Amino acid sequence: MKKTWLRDYIIKRLLLAIFIAWAVLTITFVLVRVGPTSPADKYLANLTARGQDAAQVVAAIEARYGVDIPIYEQYINYIVNLGRGDWGWSLSTSMPVMELIKTHWIYSFQLIFLSSILAALIGILIGIYSAVRQYSKTDYIATFFSFIGISIPNFWLGVMLILLFSVKLGLFKTYYDTGIPLFSLANLQQLILPVITLGTGMMAAYTRYTRSAMLDNLRKEFVRTARAKGLPERTVIGKHVFRNAILPLITIIMFDLGSIVFGGAYLTEIIFGIPGLGQISFNAIFADDYAVVVAVTVISAFLILMINLITDITYTYLDPRIRYD
Amino acid sequence: MEKLKILVLLSMIAILITGSCQVAQETKGVYISGTSAGDAETLNWILAADSASLGYVGHTLDSLATYDNEWNIQLRCAARDVEVSEDGLVYTVTIRDDLKWSDGSPVTAEDYVYTLKDLMFSDWLNYTYQSDWQEQVNDETVFVTPEVVNKTTFTITRQTVDPEFIYTVRNLTPYPKYIATKYEGDIDAFTQAPEFNNLTYTGNLGPYKFVEWIRNDKFVVERNPEYYLGKDISAPYFEQYIVKLFGTPATCHAALEAGDIAYAGIDPPHVAKFKAIERINVYTVPTTGYLLLAYNLRDNGWEGLKQKEVRQALSMAISKELLIEKVLFGFGEPAYSFIPKPSPWYVYIATAKYGVEPLLDEEKAKERLLETGYATQRADGSIEVADKEGKPLKLTLVTNSGNDIRENVGHLVKEELSAIGIEVELKFVPWATELRKYLMNKVPGTEQELGYNNGPRAVSEEPWDLMVMGFNTHPLSPSGQDVFYATQGGLNFWGYSNSRVDELFQRIKSEEALDEGVRKQLYAELSQLVAEEQPVNFLAFQLANAGFQKNVKGIEPGINMGYNYHLWYFE
Repeated sequence: MKKTWLRDYIIKRLLLAIFIAWAVLTITFVLVRVGPTSPADKYLANLTARGQDAAQVVAAIEARYGVDIPIYEQYINYIVNLGRGDWGWSLSTSMPVMELIKTHWIYSFQLIFLSSILAALIGILIGIYSAVRQYSKTDYIATFFSFIGISIPNFWLGVMLILLFSVKLGLFKTYYDTGIPLFSLANLQQLILPVITLGTGMMAAYTRYTRSAMLDNLRKEFVRTARAKGLPERTVIGKHVFRNAILPLITIIMFDLGSIVFGGAYLTEIIFGIPGLGQISFNAIFADDYAVVVAVTVISAFLILMINLITDITYTYLDPRIRYD
Repeated sequence: MEKLKILVLLSMIAILITGSCQVAQETKGVYISGTSAGDAETLNWILAADSASLGYVGHTLDSLATYDNEWNIQLRCAARDVEVSEDGLVYTVTIRDDLKWSDGSPVTAEDYVYTLKDLMFSDWLNYTYQSDWQEQVNDETVFVTPEVVNKTTFTITRQTVDPEFIYTVRNLTPYPKYIATKYEGDIDAFTQAPEFNNLTYTGNLGPYKFVEWIRNDKFVVERNPEYYLGKDISAPYFEQYIVKLFGTPATCHAALEAGDIAYAGIDPPHVAKFKAIERINVYTVPTTGYLLLAYNLRDNGWEGLKQKEVRQALSMAISKELLIEKVLFGFGEPAYSFIPKPSPWYVYIATAKYGVEPLLDEEKAKERLLETGYATQRADGSIEVADKEGKPLKLTLVTNSGNDIRENVGHLVKEELSAIGIEVELKFVPWATELRKYLMNKVPGTEQELGYNNGPRAVSEEPWDLMVMGFNTHPLSPSGQDVFYATQGGLNFWGYSNSRVDELFQRIKSEEALDEGVRKQLYAELSQLVAEEQPVNFLAFQLANAGFQKNVKGIEPGINMGYNYHLWYFE
């Protein structure tokens, strides 16, 4: 029975996701082209050194970017190519858009994945401990450090870590080396500082969310009942309280993972020289690289929708009372 | 006595031989050059409009010639310097006969002529810098005419004389005709051609060969053992050369400090720190960049700025030395025109030096404003700056946000002008806004499209009076600055017009200027004229600081420091 309504629900959500992705594509496609800027703007500085004919340079660059033809023609061409699986050519990096994304997503993924997992593990444990020992010294210390973790800007923490551990102590390289194989200990080692940088804020947030969700549930009737039944405290906390508290946390963690494409680790990537999708997408925006901007926006929108769907499905397993029919 | 003479002669010969020949060095190490200036856009260089792309390709592909720090020509792919006919119309180029593409076929004059005629001059490729190869003939824009003479020689013929065209010719690099013809006429295919995007064709044309380019991360090349200039001396001497990109100057500096990279440019505030580090050499070198304070001479700028004496008065109130000390941390030189000190055409004597003593004087500035009617004299003799109606003078200064140096110049100008009684309102706006709202202009009430210089009646959408900007000039051919200062100049945003300036720019590009002595005189008059006229306040030429690990040897610090980088080595 469950299988039927869940399958129907998934099909409905997938169709909706495709429609939303198309809408996002169309809106993004139009927005990036109707803006007042020209892809030639950034070249004006070069012109100044060589004294070329400005109008001619602007016309040449706009022709290369394909913005010299009507927007509806550009849109039709784009959709036709997309139908053939061609996401276009990135003019700011000189490679096919899909190849660009395929090459660089892994750098963002490993960073965000490791940071999220580590932050979730530590943050949730501290959050549980803080909630169970509310208003104890440990709770105050955890709260104090959580607020610090939330308040510290990534770019500041990253630079400080580099100055201390790389420049002063010489324990790590000052930048991420893409020459090191991805699946190696050396790669894990060079990810330590970026993961701390990105994970600190996440961990602090998870600690706060967990503490708050646990406290909400600790006050509920079913906890008193469980304790009255004589269940061990570990079972009450682990099996009853935590299982109810984890639902909102799942949503937050999944959205953090979903930020891989959208550039959730942009600042950390910038500081440690990690060539991830965060850098790629931000640079594409400033370079008027329309093909990349549209692709990254559409893919991230679709990914977020899928993560949302997976989160909803996960809920039904964590709490069998939840139904979407 | 005779023996002594022979001994002296032999010694002199020995000194000459050892002095003129480069000694081969041991090849070792990976040279990592750090930069936070942003990544290249393409390795298909004919499509590039950014300097990073041309820089990357330059490691694998030499031009016909380059220059040392004193602007002496250094031959690269050219066998001898470009020969110019007496009438200045025909340029004869002879290339070396040992240049090869990657498939082993020789690089010929045909490749160069093909690159010009069928690629750069074509209407399907949209080559950005076509105007470099065009001239005005009977009010028509036409291309120059390249022709193959023989396997290693070709000519480029002009119909009009331009003595500075030779610098464009010397900068030429070729595409391999045997590959490029496959993509001819198809811009998409050409843009995506794997040979051009992976530099697989460059043969022995550059000191390094392409290895990989990871976008936003690094560009890697390896030693080219076939390099034509390295045959006898086994150059270059680095196993690999990597351009490593950093997201911020701070992290790039940290990498240099930690010894993770061999080179990084150092921002002025950090120079003292790096100079104190034992294992790092910091070289301060001239650049071609200058800062300026532009005056809006169009109808929506303060009308006083149209008078030369008012512009001079404002320039007399702004100290260039203070600006260099406070904003550039001492790494600058006062500018009096757009011709930099390292240029062969630079003139110091007899140029009006506004902004340094004795032409730095608040009282004289006020007196000059009084003479022009923009001040009133009180009974006690003091002068109060005001507009023609006697109201306090308030000017708007605009610059692009996010550029610390320009913003700080804005603050300093505000302080300096307030000392003579002029209030300055600062507006820091994004570059795209500055470009569209303040620089681009059109004649009001017309359907004219926005342009960079739409004639004397055109104005920008938003009014402004002063603008801090930064330009680059070419020391060998500063006449390219006519785009800013000639009446018809394509980037004459501010509407400056002076017939004598226009005439001098034209004469520098005419037959009479083939004589370098005459050209020097013309440049001297031009720089004296703009220094006197103050179309803009030329503030300062910036100096750059290059930080190297001390074990990098062979560097010759100067404006073209990299000209001999294939001879650099690790100790």
